[in-house]
Amino acid sequence: MTDAKYPQVRVVTERLLNPDTVERIINLIVATGGVRRVILNGPRIPAVVSVGPAKGSRNIHDMRKIIKIGEQDVQLEVHVGTIVLELENRDFIPAIREACEKGFTTFSFYLQEGRYMKTEPSLVDYAKYGPDADKDIIGLAEPGKSGPVILQGTK
Amino acid sequence: MAYKPQYGPGSSTIAENRRKQMDPSTKLEKVRDISDEDIVLIMGHKAPGAAYPTMHPPLNEQQEPDCPIRKMVVPIDGAKHGDRIRFIQFADSMYNAPCQPYQRSYVASYRYRGVDPGTLSGRQIVECRERDLEKLAKELVGTELFDPARTGVRGSTVHGHSLRLDEDGMMFDMMQRRILDKKSGVVKYVKNQNSEPLDKEVKVGKPMDEKWLKAHTTMFHSLVGTAFRSDAEYVEYVQRVHSNRTKYGYRPEE
Repeated sequence: MTDAKYPQVRVVTERLLNPDTVERIINLIVATGGVRRVILNGPRIPAVVSVGPAKGSRNIHDMRKIIKIGEQDVQLEVHVGTIVLELENRDFIPAIREACEKGFTTFSFYLQEGRYMKTEPSLVDYAKYGPDADKDIIGLAEPGKSGPVILQGTK
Repeated sequence: MAYKPQYGPGSSTIAENRRKQMDPSTKLEKVRDISDEDIVLIMGHKAPGAAYPTMHPPLNEQQEPDCPIRKMVVPIDGAKHGDRIRFIQFADSMYNAPCQPYQRSYVASYRYRGVDPGTLSGRQIVECRERDLEKLAKELVGTELFDPARTGVRGSTVHGHSLRLDEDGMMFDMMQRRILDKKSGVVKYVKNQNSEPLDKEVKVGKPMDEKWLKAHTTMFHSLVGTAFRSDAEYVEYVQRVHSNRTKYGYRPEE
């Protein structure tokens, strides 16, 4: 869950991003110092093949990689297409835009301000995670699975 | 007067391409060479060179009932030999892929005998007797109906049709069955359509350029291609179908 008082932006790119592009851009964004939370969103890349004759075998995929954000390793589980950010305040938006302009050179992107993170658990969240789920991470990561990554040393 | 099929309405290049692909009297433009072995590897139903497994004895060895229809309809080669029924399935990106799921089913129905095409939201499957399937799959992959980057041969986990492209211009594939070789610029399949890793890479050629794709696509797209609303004849036709269907249900008599 998230507190509604903090501003949120999302960065949507023309193309789905390679892990090295994500690493580059997210480090530029994090370096602005005003980011509270980040969601890397996009179509999922499963670790194992889930159907067909190859069911259960490892899914070898170039886009499912471990990237380094600051000093922290983050396992990418999606092919990133949207970066959702929660900021300390609106003053950081120009710096985020500047970071994106610096990072995306070969294709276009747009940056929007709005509300993109959940503020209340939905009925589906209750059905999926049950009554005892950690409400702090619903909407950011799946409770009971890998969970969120906490970036150290940004404050 | 003999009936002459029109195949479809429209005055845009998209409409023209659709008619061209559907019309069996038009020869599909051959764009790349795919060997028999390669197509067998991509489909992954059997090992290349292996005999065709059968599901019933050859027709000339079994007693056929005395049926006038059976006498009239000449069986396709695979049916004569009692081959299994196997499939090839395609996913097409909406970013100017040369063909698209509905179009593919029309193409298969008009051009081939003994096939069972089926369209789902973002993919299209063609089922057929195995040896006939190999022949038609070779045509579907080797001609203008296919683009190595914007079309994928995918048995399952087909997601990608409506997604943004990857940075290198390839359509998203959750299983990454094919990759673009950065050095040579050639797309190669590293997994078969069922996501099983291949022992040998199968090269399917270089992705076609944007200009070729825009000229050969059968999909309307207002941002990257030809907008549907730019084809007045097509719009009129679709509106007429919609109006008749709404007013008269299953008996559209004006």
